Amino acid sequence: MANLLDRAVESFKRVGEGLKTVFMHSFREPTTQEYPEKIQDLAPHFRGRLALAVNPDTGDHLCISCRQCERVCPDKCIEITAHKSPETNKLELIDFKIDHGLCMFCGLCTEVCPTTCIINTNDFEMADYSRESLIYDIKRLTLTQDESTYYFDKKELPRPKPKAAAKPAAAAGAAGAAAKSAAAGGDAAAKAAAAKAAAAKAAAAKAAAAKAAAAKTDDGETKAEPKAESKSEEKAAEPKADAEAAKKDVVEAKTEDITAEPKADAEAAKKDVVEAKTEDKAAEAPEKDAKKDVKEAKADEKDPE
Amino acid sequence: MNAAEIYKLSRLAIFWLSVTFGAVWVACWGVGVFIPSLITGKMPFLLQVDNPSTTVVFIADLLRSLTPILSLLVFIPINAMFMVLFERRSLALFTVRMGPNRHGFDGLAQTAADAVKLLFKEDITPRGADAFMFTLAPIIFFAPSIFGALPLLAAVTNNHDLFKVANLPTGIFYILAAASIPVVALVMAGWASNNKYSLVGGLRSAAQAISYEIPLVLSLVTMCLLAGTLDVVEIVEQQKGGILNWNILGGGALSGYDKLAPYWLNLVDTSFDTSAMFGQFYPVPWLSSIMAFVLVICTVLLFGLYLTGACAEINRIPFDLPEAESELVSGYNTEYSGIKFAIFFLAEFTNLFVVSSIATVMFLGGGDNPIPKWILDRLPLEPISNALGSLLSPLIKDLMFIDPATFWAAFWVIVKVYSIVFFAILVRGTLPRFRIDQLMDFGWKRLIPLALILFVVVVFARTWVVCHG
Amino acid sequence: MSTEIKSTELKTDEMIINMGPQHPATHGVLRMLLTLDGEFVKHAEPVIGHLHRAQEWQGQNRTWFQYQALIDRVDYLSGMFTSWAMARSCEVLDECEVPERAEYLRVMVSEMNRISSHLLWLGTYLIDLGAMFGFPFYPFREREKLLDLFEEIAGQRMMFNYIRIGGVQRAPNDAWLKRLKAFTEEFEDRVDEYEAIVTENPIFLKRTKEIGILPLSLAKQYGVTGPSIRASGTDMDLRKTKPYSVYPKLEFDVHWLDKPEGGDTWDRYILRIREMRESNKIIKQCLDMLPTEGELSGKKQNAGLRVKAGEAFSSVESPRGILGCYVISDGKDKAIRFRWRNPSFCNLSVLSELLVGSPIADIMAIFGSVDVILPDVDR
Repeated sequence: MANLLDRAVESFKRVGEGLKTVFMHSFREPTTQEYPEKIQDLAPHFRGRLALAVNPDTGDHLCISCRQCERVCPDKCIEITAHKSPETNKLELIDFKIDHGLCMFCGLCTEVCPTTCIINTNDFEMADYSRESLIYDIKRLTLTQDESTYYFDKKELPRPKPKAAAKPAAAAGAAGAAAKSAAAGGDAAAKAAAAKAAAAKAAAAKAAAAKAAAAKTDDGETKAEPKAESKSEEKAAEPKADAEAAKKDVVEAKTEDITAEPKADAEAAKKDVVEAKTEDKAAEAPEKDAKKDVKEAKADEKDPE
Repeated sequence: MNAAEIYKLSRLAIFWLSVTFGAVWVACWGVGVFIPSLITGKMPFLLQVDNPSTTVVFIADLLRSLTPILSLLVFIPINAMFMVLFERRSLALFTVRMGPNRHGFDGLAQTAADAVKLLFKEDITPRGADAFMFTLAPIIFFAPSIFGALPLLAAVTNNHDLFKVANLPTGIFYILAAASIPVVALVMAGWASNNKYSLVGGLRSAAQAISYEIPLVLSLVTMCLLAGTLDVVEIVEQQKGGILNWNILGGGALSGYDKLAPYWLNLVDTSFDTSAMFGQFYPVPWLSSIMAFVLVICTVLLFGLYLTGACAEINRIPFDLPEAESELVSGYNTEYSGIKFAIFFLAEFTNLFVVSSIATVMFLGGGDNPIPKWILDRLPLEPISNALGSLLSPLIKDLMFIDPATFWAAFWVIVKVYSIVFFAILVRGTLPRFRIDQLMDFGWKRLIPLALILFVVVVFARTWVVCHG
Repeated sequence: MSTEIKSTELKTDEMIINMGPQHPATHGVLRMLLTLDGEFVKHAEPVIGHLHRAQEWQGQNRTWFQYQALIDRVDYLSGMFTSWAMARSCEVLDECEVPERAEYLRVMVSEMNRISSHLLWLGTYLIDLGAMFGFPFYPFREREKLLDLFEEIAGQRMMFNYIRIGGVQRAPNDAWLKRLKAFTEEFEDRVDEYEAIVTENPIFLKRTKEIGILPLSLAKQYGVTGPSIRASGTDMDLRKTKPYSVYPKLEFDVHWLDKPEGGDTWDRYILRIREMRESNKIIKQCLDMLPTEGELSGKKQNAGLRVKAGEAFSSVESPRGILGCYVISDGKDKAIRFRWRNPSFCNLSVLSELLVGSPIADIMAIFGSVDVILPDVDR
């Protein structure tokens, strides 16, 4: 009986201690973060949505179409379309697609990128209504110069060297046909924004041409094309004249593409597509191709091996 | 220091409760006082009729008699809404969170939004279920909490004229009878759902309710024994005059001390012979005092016993076995959705309010002010109450709108009931759940013997002390 | 008369119940096929495979570099340990030296991960026992702080990809170390609070004492490891019995209970609590001893990462027990074979014996106490 009483008292004490501990918690500051109002400052290396950076100093697109990211991606969610320019004999980026619905945000692509072009942003609010809209094309992936500067500073990445100065070939390409050179992004110093819009459109036009040649039907691509035009953010900010000039450029580029060298272009695109396909399957091919590509692009970055 | 959140919660409580009780009171006054007086021509300053026709008088009486049930029908849903919010916000306080604070002022509209959502949800009846019983169960579960609470109305409103009609001489008996009905509904719900988990949940609740009703009833019976009556209004009446008169402190065993304290403290005429009066309350000098304190211990234990039994009766943690999530998914309401689930939910919170009100009435003096009367009388409150009285006299006298005594009774009842609710929430935030066999073990081998022992001790001890009864 | 009554005891049919895979308390997608005799379990059969993702096969079809990013998903609550087990077996094959700084960082993040895993277990276990609304938030609050730290150093909160073959991915900065130090200093108090609420709570004691008793011999037969076997009377902890990394340089105790007749669920609970305190001590020491300068990786981290030909097995002590990784390489960019030894799988298998004879209400208390992560079982 006394034992029972002791136990009862002991139980009461323990329960009371628990109740007291819980109750005293009500005098502590809540740990809740009121999310949409107050967004926590994310860590610099947080692996959020993928994006393509431009050179923070010059605004050049940093991608050199080396396909390293495409190859290393465990989910195969990156798709790069590039062709070899017949004039400069260099790879030119036509389109860059990332299916964020497939992506698992491992960040391997950002680790292998030789030019720190592809980076993980701090953006994680990517909910959308369809799987198709999770496929980001080059237009949606490319950051503005300001955003690139922000991420380069936040992640403490080394600033890339300006492209035009270092590579005369690229400069020549840019001078040769501003509208046509999709990857270089046109004349960097002068009218970066206008050229960029033009470049993107030219890329779309070229992609369409390549598609036609390769007889490839891809829902995601066809849908992405009109979107790129309608969704261009720069359009609103730009003066109309610029936009019109860009449009004219595109038309020029298109006609040039189609009239002057449709076959060569189409064949190049076709080759690229075939290459991309074989690369997926072949086990040893990636390494070799990477070397080749990198050599062609004349990037001074590290070798994959 | 988390002052901001505590302040927000109390602000919320004050705002919502005043709105709720204001709305209920306006509704009651409108139906029970204003319209009957108007049509029978008894309203001061308004059209006076000398001899109203019998039909009019009949309608006026009907309205008056409907007032108690109307007040509950208005009060229960609004109050349950607030209790859900109060529970969520309090749990958030205990767990260093913020709780719902988006909808409306400080999350005020959260439960309203939830309720609307539940109403618009598809009402699913599972295949193979007994559709009639399945629909009937939530109704049977909810109904007793309305009509069971009726006799309490007069007790918590200082026996106000409007609610007198709902009082019963055997109030406690009636309340306990009503409180034991919901278990039938739980078994019905469990059986009708055609789901093994629901069935087990329903049967568990039956076993649990039957086991825990015994200590619950025994503790209330002991209190009735001390009070000498089953009438809740009378029980409240006995406890008036400050905390020392409350049933939780010996059921009136300390009333003598309460009465004599002003003399001992030289607050009044010292020539008064206190020993004679002391002898009236405590016939055998030393033994009576000891027995008075034995009674105090007994009644405090009985209060704990009542709360434990009530927790089990309304399926709250740590006795929420019928809906034990980790074992039975959701117990008897696994298959319920939409409005039927909403009714179960509503009834659960209403039951919590009802058992807390019973505890208030039976143990905590109902609407009594905790400060002893002899202190209250000496506080300089008279000018304030006079000023307020003259200010509010048009309301009180002319419109018969508000009665100060009723107001204070309701105020203290709310404070006490919500303190008990707060404690129940604190327990919910702390304790894990019993196992079903341990629950039975605890009920039958610990609580029931304890209740019986206390009963015997109280019967013995009260022969030496003059209690309320 | 009385003998007659005994011989005609009331007999009811056995009932077969499917607990899961959609049951709220089965920690993911375990299906338990229970044969019940009244309230009591007569036969229990865990049915696994709902979460099978062919993790081993994926390892054979991904390059080394790619697979490193995938294996955090094997046991999502302690990703550091799966990474570490793989890294260690690959390092054995490759004969590559791991820099000391990287070793300290590995120990540090792994012990943080052990704490965060145990914290999650603690919260969910109390939910299993019915304390649903208050207590579980406290361990999750501390875990959140650890996850914030992980987010900063590894880039993500659960899928770290931080420990790499040859070293670690990134060095912490001073602010991070300071935050971790602050965490370790307040963590002891927090554990004291948990204990004040839970450890001696009479209802908790009633729910966990004397149930799910796991005798040492049975545990050994099934290959149970981790805190579950240490509660049953052995001090087997790889960090002490087969020390790896810089553990020999650190001072810590391995908690175990001398109970060869078997530890109950409460013993397993208290061991995890003590382990959290020990891990906290280890982190504190690592913070003091961490070299400020030095290499982070003994191997270059890039897509062409390769491991020399051969086969190797190595294991680490994960929060759930011994986590082993067996690997065969032919020196090319992909492994020939990966084989994982997952502690959860063995801990789960013993359930079919542990549950027999216990009432339904104890199933979750016992199941929760062996700490099983279903993706770790199914891979």
